Amino acid sequence: MKKIFAALAVGASLALVSPAAWAHAFLDHASPAVGSSVPAAPTAVTLWFTQDLEPAFSTVTVTDKAGQRVDLDNAQVPPGQPAELQIGLKKLPRGTYTVRWRVVSVDTHNTEGHFTFDVRGG
Amino acid sequence: MNATDAFIVVARTLHFAACVSLTGVFAFECLVAGRTLRANDAELNDAFAPRRRLSVVAWASLALALVSGAAWLAAVAANMSGEPLGALKSSTIAIVLTETRVGKDWLLRLALVVLLGACLIAWKRRARWSAAVGWVAFGLSALLLVTLAWAGHGAADEGINGNIHLAADLLHLLAAGIWLGALVPFALMMTAVQYVGDQGAVGIARAATRRFSAIAVTSVGVLLASGIVNTLYLTGNVPALLGTPYGQLLLLKIALFVAMLSVAAINRVKLTAQLDAGARAWQAIPRLRRNALIESAIGLGVLAIVGQLGILPPGLHTEPVWPLPFRIDPNALPTGDKILSAVLVVGVCACATLVIVAIAGRRKWLLGASVVGLIPCVAFAAPPLRRAIEPAFPTTFFASPVSYGAPAVARGAAIYAQNCAVCHGADGRGDGPAAAGLPIKPADLTEPHLFAHNVGDLYWWIGHGIGGVMPGFEGKLTPRDRWNVIQFIRAHAAGVLAKSVGPKVTSAAAPQVLDFAFEIHGAQDTLSQTLQNGPVLLILYVRPVPDARLRQLAAEQRRLAAGGLTVIAVGPTKIRNSPSGGAKLPYVVGVSVDVAEALALFRSAGDGGETELMLDRNGDIRARWTASGPRSLAPPNVLVADAQRAARFAVAAPNHAGHGG
Repeated sequence: MKKIFAALAVGASLALVSPAAWAHAFLDHASPAVGSSVPAAPTAVTLWFTQDLEPAFSTVTVTDKAGQRVDLDNAQVPPGQPAELQIGLKKLPRGTYTVRWRVVSVDTHNTEGHFTFDVRGG
Repeated sequence: MNATDAFIVVARTLHFAACVSLTGVFAFECLVAGRTLRANDAELNDAFAPRRRLSVVAWASLALALVSGAAWLAAVAANMSGEPLGALKSSTIAIVLTETRVGKDWLLRLALVVLLGACLIAWKRRARWSAAVGWVAFGLSALLLVTLAWAGHGAADEGINGNIHLAADLLHLLAAGIWLGALVPFALMMTAVQYVGDQGAVGIARAATRRFSAIAVTSVGVLLASGIVNTLYLTGNVPALLGTPYGQLLLLKIALFVAMLSVAAINRVKLTAQLDAGARAWQAIPRLRRNALIESAIGLGVLAIVGQLGILPPGLHTEPVWPLPFRIDPNALPTGDKILSAVLVVGVCACATLVIVAIAGRRKWLLGASVVGLIPCVAFAAPPLRRAIEPAFPTTFFASPVSYGAPAVARGAAIYAQNCAVCHGADGRGDGPAAAGLPIKPADLTEPHLFAHNVGDLYWWIGHGIGGVMPGFEGKLTPRDRWNVIQFIRAHAAGVLAKSVGPKVTSAAAPQVLDFAFEIHGAQDTLSQTLQNGPVLLILYVRPVPDARLRQLAAEQRRLAAGGLTVIAVGPTKIRNSPSGGAKLPYVVGVSVDVAEALALFRSAGDGGETELMLDRNGDIRARWTASGPRSLAPPNVLVADAQRAARFAVAAPNHAGHGG
């Protein structure tokens, strides 16, 4: 009896935690890189996240300075690459472009963000 | 907290409670009631029918699980799609159920609920309670409970850590179900015993209490062990535990758990013994029941915290606001003192635990002995620990949201020149034009001691000043600019420190080169990406271009590559680094003005026009050669050997709190 109580008392001075964990899909890196300036117009934007994504609820758009969409509206999570989000681009002239993403990770948490990149050459 | 979040918290709490209760009912049936009642008079079983009461609790829990589960799923669907909960489209729920991982989990859970319903119907057939059906239902309800680990997502971690974390989650849930969930059934059984009120009933109460006690102790042990594993994964350190809402709620949860254990200890130590003591047994039974209900109520509080914790980012993923004006920094102590104080702290904890045990068990000799043990432990631990006490600020454990890279350093350099150089000096040595008039000399920002401070301390001082010595810049510099200037100060100090790094690879503390982006063969890359492949020889040069050296290395490129070494050469931007511009030089990469200026911190005029830095996989400078003086440049075979030595340095763990969206 004493032993058990001692075990309980030792235990009491230790810790206990919730089974519920949490994770967000944060943007890990992108191509073109966040804030980068690229010499030639890319044909696609690829985003790599820190968690696997739910394709049904993950979107990305690319707009030019005037706010016009310059992507091909074909955002997809490539097969076998569950933490990646890709979208094709129209032929981009020189300029600054904004990438906006809103993704839901497989554990249901959503995150969003945006960044820009520059195209230096035509 | 918005309305959807509040809704999720309530739904989660009720759903956890329902699943815990279901598991508890069947755990109690299979492990306690079934055996006790079989081992005793079967008539009693029919007389007070504890199983009928159990089946009522089971049906109620199942209904609650279904309703709260549906509510939770709806709220999750609203969060995922971004639709308001009130205007949630049924098509959204359909997409969630069919196309997402969480939806598939919920379909599985729905199937488990239906099967459990079938079990409940089949449990009692022709006035006999089927033990086999009880066990099947126990298994199903345990599955329903442990699959919540996926809903909360201990599976978010990947690899072996993910598996350990997930296993701990599963065990934690299962143990919670078996112990916490069985408390109400236990109380119901005590009610039934009291209702019957004869000696046979006392026998049943005694046997049931013994059995329940055994599974409770086992479950508590599992809860503790798995809880510790989870705490390490989700908070991991003291600042996260004390300084984040997640950690603080967790501490509250632990306090409630301790309260439950105290009540359980009374049941175990005092009341169980009374069951053997004849007439006093009749006093013990209602108390056992009352205590079990008190524990259940506290347990519901624990589940409410679980409901809340699930929607908070874990401590490791948020910036901890340190609540104390000091911190204990064991790194400030010499190794001997560190070991001594660690041993003594363990001693203090052990003695303190013994004091509690002695008081609870009313053992005077043990109390005396543990107090006698406590005094020297405290007396010897106090002096070294006092030396380890450092002042701390709310931001002490903040990680920088801007990374240690060229953009931050370049921006920080401009801010430094405008705001800091007047006192700290253009070269950071604390000798700016205004320094002479100050009663206390401004800090020398080039001393290696700079790296002993947390960046969070620097952030606090820049924002709030140092009482009467340095002004605060909170109103003048944005938080981001304060971090930028910190990254510049770090790069600057690392550059100064780098000048004392010799041409031999050593394990001495090495200054770190900042991360930067570059262009090679028309493609973009970064130093940090390149370092993932192994050590890098970073060549910094000024005019004239050291093409003889570059060609010497290029001639041995195959050996360098086989040795795992990548060479990157960066010149001043005035030289066109673009491979399309003029003669192609091996290893030369194109960089922006920012990068060239930031990297200039790592070379000096006396280097003879060329500085070579051997970087380990962290970007730490392990060796340094210059074209001038005695430290002449190393031949390729030496570089290969050094690269292999540099590759042995472990890669530092990534900082969790830093990631930005």
